[in-house]
Amino acid sequence: MFELLTLTIVLSAPLILGAMGGFTSERSGVINIGLEGMMLMSACVTALAAAKFGPVGAVGLGIASATVLSLLHWLATQVYRIDHVISGMAINAIGAGGTNFLYGKLSDPSHNGSISHVPVALFSWLAFFVPVILWAYARWTRGGLRMLAVGSDPDKARLMGVQPLRVRFFGLLATGLFTGLAGSQLLAYTGNFTDNMTAGRGYIALAALILGGWRPVPAFLACLAFGFFSALRIQLQGTALMGAQLPSEAWASLPYLVTIIALAGFLGKNRTPAGLGKP
Amino acid sequence: MVLLIVGALALLAGLMILSGASPLGSLVTLLKGSLGTPAAISGTLRETTPLLILGLAVFLALRAGLFNIGAEGQFLLGAVACTWVNLRIPGFGGLILGTLAGAIAGALWALPAGLIKAYRNGHEVITTIMLNSVAVYLTTALVAGPMKDPKQDSPTTADLVAGSRLPWLYDHAPVQLSSALLLGLILTALVALWLRKTVAGYELQAVGASPGAAKYAGIDNRRVVLAAMCSSGAIAGIAGVVQVLAYEGRFYAGISPGYGFDALGVALLAGGSAWGVIPASLLFGVLAKGGTSLQLDEVPKGITTVVLGLIILVAAALRYRKVSTDV
Repeated sequence: MFELLTLTIVLSAPLILGAMGGFTSERSGVINIGLEGMMLMSACVTALAAAKFGPVGAVGLGIASATVLSLLHWLATQVYRIDHVISGMAINAIGAGGTNFLYGKLSDPSHNGSISHVPVALFSWLAFFVPVILWAYARWTRGGLRMLAVGSDPDKARLMGVQPLRVRFFGLLATGLFTGLAGSQLLAYTGNFTDNMTAGRGYIALAALILGGWRPVPAFLACLAFGFFSALRIQLQGTALMGAQLPSEAWASLPYLVTIIALAGFLGKNRTPAGLGKP
Repeated sequence: MVLLIVGALALLAGLMILSGASPLGSLVTLLKGSLGTPAAISGTLRETTPLLILGLAVFLALRAGLFNIGAEGQFLLGAVACTWVNLRIPGFGGLILGTLAGAIAGALWALPAGLIKAYRNGHEVITTIMLNSVAVYLTTALVAGPMKDPKQDSPTTADLVAGSRLPWLYDHAPVQLSSALLLGLILTALVALWLRKTVAGYELQAVGASPGAAKYAGIDNRRVVLAAMCSSGAIAGIAGVVQVLAYEGRFYAGISPGYGFDALGVALLAGGSAWGVIPASLLFGVLAKGGTSLQLDEVPKGITTVVLGLIILVAAALRYRKVSTDV
């Protein structure tokens, strides 16, 4: 039982951090399907830097690499006005291809690139505090309210003297920070980098954000639920449940199915930020 | 704009030099490996076929203003449905029925995304991404369970009999040319004609260009969105069918190395006409085939995916510019 609890927390943490990265981006009005690529890039760079720069430097560089991709998204969508979805797909391609290339060329066979001295628990604590901090930030501070204003109606915000370009820059800067932490956590937990090791976690984080109605605390709870089901899947592997043996794929597709049902409007009202995707 | 293109090229060259590979040498390897010999060209055309048909599927949806990121899932469902039918009904009848089953499976897999877009205004990109993941898990479970060939260790179906497969036009290994490519070209012509010459095609493009104006002109936007999404899914399903019947001869987990994503790039590069899908898919085919030769040269294949990402960014930026100067 205790094992299930700790496993849930460890598996939820990257989803939570990823979803919080999605929160600061999407609530300022930038659609972000590039979370996956950013998390992957951070995991790769953290692994590559671990040998040379030590655990703290490695995590820092991982965050920096995710931030570079995040700001590329800002440049593409805000300055060049590319459709947010297309830019996000491109970010994911650069993340998937770039990590394959960088790791294939630069990895050091004598060092497996783990950051074992960084306790995974540190990331778990962060994952529990960040949603609350973001909730308070968005509710009570000037910066947070401006972020929500830009995300709800960029034109009105512009009339009020708030520059969407600027607000979104800082929103995506935070996205880089959180997705970078998510990638480092994945690496710290699994121990070494493998190709496409995020395996759709960026998309699940986005799904959790949508399920949570783009609010940090409900999104956090959705991530915990998804993490719990993954933990359950690992624990129940091979054992029959209620007389029938469900294939593990059924458990794995659960988050996606729930999200589709939520988008179909069967789980309460549509809370999509009104300014999402608008220039 | 020039800045963006120069920046993309500089990023690419920087990445290669940083890791000790020669940018120019890699380009030569890539071109030699994809266009250097008749065998290489036939390999490139083989890679081009699924990209052409899938690109067409994404292109059609794009004309209606929809991003069908779900082509990947529709491809998988089409492939698995066709294999299922063909294993039961071998021969020419299976070929026809299997193709039909694949197209229907693809269309059905696109339907939820179309419905949610039309009636709930949920973004089709999110739903199709979710449907892609479900499709991967569903087909993996099928091929590891009920559809698995008991004689094999890996999750794969049995091989189809030769009579129910698409014939080769030219077959002297290693140079092979499948009739599938011809089928792709015919589909391109059909889509081009449909968009240009029919009322439905016109309505589809009207909705894509300006939903508000289309509604004012009396077009039922919801019906058009549904129709566009489902036809796009059907074409993507046919791409899966063709991949099984022409090249693979069976279905296995991981049959698509991410064709659905490449198809989005193909469709974006194609511009305003369905005919543009042909050169765009050829370019992506060259990158896919040449990427394998790069790998032999100890340049990881991922670099071609980075190139695709950058092409998509630049193409999208150019596209936006074109739109903004038109208006």
